[in-house]
Amino acid sequence: MSEHNDVHHTTESSEPISRRKVLAWLTSMGILGSAIVTVFSNLVFIKPRATYGQPMRFSIGTPDEYPPGTRIALGNQKVAVIREGNKMAAISITCTHLGCIVGVADTGFACPCHGSRFDQDGNVTGGPAPKPLPWFELSMAPNGELEIDKSKEITAGKWFTV
Amino acid sequence: MVYRMSDNIQKKSVLSVLLGFPSAVWTSVFRNDLPHTDLGRSRTSFTNFFLHIHPVKVHKHTLRPWFTMGLGLISLFLFLTLTVTGVLLMFYYVPSTTQAYDRMLDLRGSVAFGVFLRNMHRWSAHGMVAVVFLHMCRVFFTGSYKKPREFNWVIGVLLFLLTLFLSFTGYLLPWDQLAFWAITVGTAIAGYAPVFGNEIRFLLLGDTTVGQEALLRFYVLHVAVLPLITTLLIAVHFWRIRKDGGMSRPAEADIVVSTEPTSKTVSAGAPVMAFAGADGINVIEKKRYGIQGLVRGPFTKVGNVPDNSVFSYPNLLLAELFVFILTILGVLLVSFFFNAPLEDPVNILHPPNPAKAPWYFLGLQEMVSYSAFWGGVGIPGLEVLILLALPYFDRGQKGIGVWFSRERLLANTLFMTFVFVNILLIIIGTFFRGQNWEFVSPF
Ligand code: HEM
Ligand code: FES
Repeated sequence: MSEHNDVHHTTESSEPISRRKVLAWLTSMGILGSAIVTVFSNLVFIKPRATYGQPMRFSIGTPDEYPPGTRIALGNQKVAVIREGNKMAAISITCTHLGCIVGVADTGFACPCHGSRFDQDGNVTGGPAPKPLPWFELSMAPNGELEIDKSKEITAGKWFTV
Repeated sequence: MVYRMSDNIQKKSVLSVLLGFPSAVWTSVFRNDLPHTDLGRSRTSFTNFFLHIHPVKVHKHTLRPWFTMGLGLISLFLFLTLTVTGVLLMFYYVPSTTQAYDRMLDLRGSVAFGVFLRNMHRWSAHGMVAVVFLHMCRVFFTGSYKKPREFNWVIGVLLFLLTLFLSFTGYLLPWDQLAFWAITVGTAIAGYAPVFGNEIRFLLLGDTTVGQEALLRFYVLHVAVLPLITTLLIAVHFWRIRKDGGMSRPAEADIVVSTEPTSKTVSAGAPVMAFAGADGINVIEKKRYGIQGLVRGPFTKVGNVPDNSVFSYPNLLLAELFVFILTILGVLLVSFFFNAPLEDPVNILHPPNPAKAPWYFLGLQEMVSYSAFWGGVGIPGLEVLILLALPYFDRGQKGIGVWFSRERLLANTLFMTFVFVNILLIIIGTFFRGQNWEFVSPF
């Protein structure tokens, strides 16, 4: 039947596009398109909109809980709180290499996983870590408590004065 | 005629129906008796779902134990063992950060055979990684990935990756120190992938760090998604073996001088009706085969080559049974004498020092200690790409079906180097790395 049609059409134009070909092409594109939409929406589905873990912004109490000379690691929040005199800083303790938790010592930070080492300010002094440990923004809330915002990285060495 | 038959049926007494019940059930399940003739053997292979995966006949070369060493079969049997023990463990396991570790302890104290099942699952998993890799080496060194088996090699590489990924996802489930830090490091490596690295990591973990979401996701991947994909690919893998003409073998294996005149054999197009014959006919004399569909390209040729094949039933089946018994025996013995490790519960502040991945990832971890991108993403990614593309570039047809063929000296040497370098890295990572990943001597 349609072959008959084809023949009929070719007599009219030099570039015959048979109806069947167009339909086949449209159908394939339709199926391909829906497949792409399906895959994409599944990806959107498994990407969580909210996470249940630690909040990015949290309070760590008043400054006098951290006497001068403090270098202490907060495990759940994964930051080290440091105080020298009346200068304070919050430095990440997640190793920039592959995410292990670095140990906090007076002389700096050391990662147990692949041996990266950092100085007191978080600069890399050895090992495979590609970047220094980031500093997070530290601020004073109206109620007199210190707040860390892990979504805001600041330049290293920018101390917060209390 | 028709009337007479139904008359006969009506005449059957209730008693004879009752007496015939067992055999009626039996024959409805198994279409024929245990075979005694070649026709029966082929028929048995055809009519049984579990047997029809096999060809009716296999080439003698395929049955040589030292050719395949049964490595693919062992992989399959380990996978089946993992499925059975894994499903059993699921009855007691809870993918929750507060419960998972306790459930591991419960396996020791309050579940009958709990520790033993966990041992079986753990050691089979380790075994599977090793055996699948050895299977891949066998395929390479016997040149069995060459045309027409290129695509099956590709499927095999995917199966190897799936095996690794199954192990990796399973590794997190006990939620002990070992698990937690291995996955922290492993998923951080994913973060180094170009462009989408952090997205992939986030999708995998469902969060920015390893926690409850990650445990749930890994559990779902481990017990549902990955086993299903693996099962599917194993099925395709086996189907392709048949369609690619059975196991590879050297050309010489078929040119053995045959004393039989070829005219005796019947062409492959013989009708399926051949099976209608009574079992009594002498099938050795008149070989007749039915084919189930028209097969294009390479297939187990019937009739036009000297017949170097034997019936799968029982030859291949016995070989498989033997490998199965060996595999299960090995797993049982190891699980009896060695307990799967379980370290302290997760302590987010204190990674063990050194924090080591499972042995098969220690080569990676060793490379990662030089450069996270190159060691964790760049080089492994290239290795996988090369493995996938390999059969499409190594097009020679020489040395197929022979171990370490001299004609494939270059290819074999290159692959051997690849294997040795990886093993060497694993050995360094396992034995020569101590605290802070510093070089130590194990002696
Ligand atoms: C259908 C197949 C499978 C199911 C249903 C399954 C299920 C499970 C479950 C529930 C656990 C947690 C209990 C436990 O940790 O012992 C587990 C752990 C594990 N699985 Fe599987 N699994 C399957 C296949 C595999 C495969 C193919 C591999 C690797 C080749 C594998 C490797 C592991 C590993 C390494 C663990 C950790 C074992 C441990 O430390 O206890 N699993 N699996
Ligand atoms: S994670 Fe710290 S050195 Fe690798």
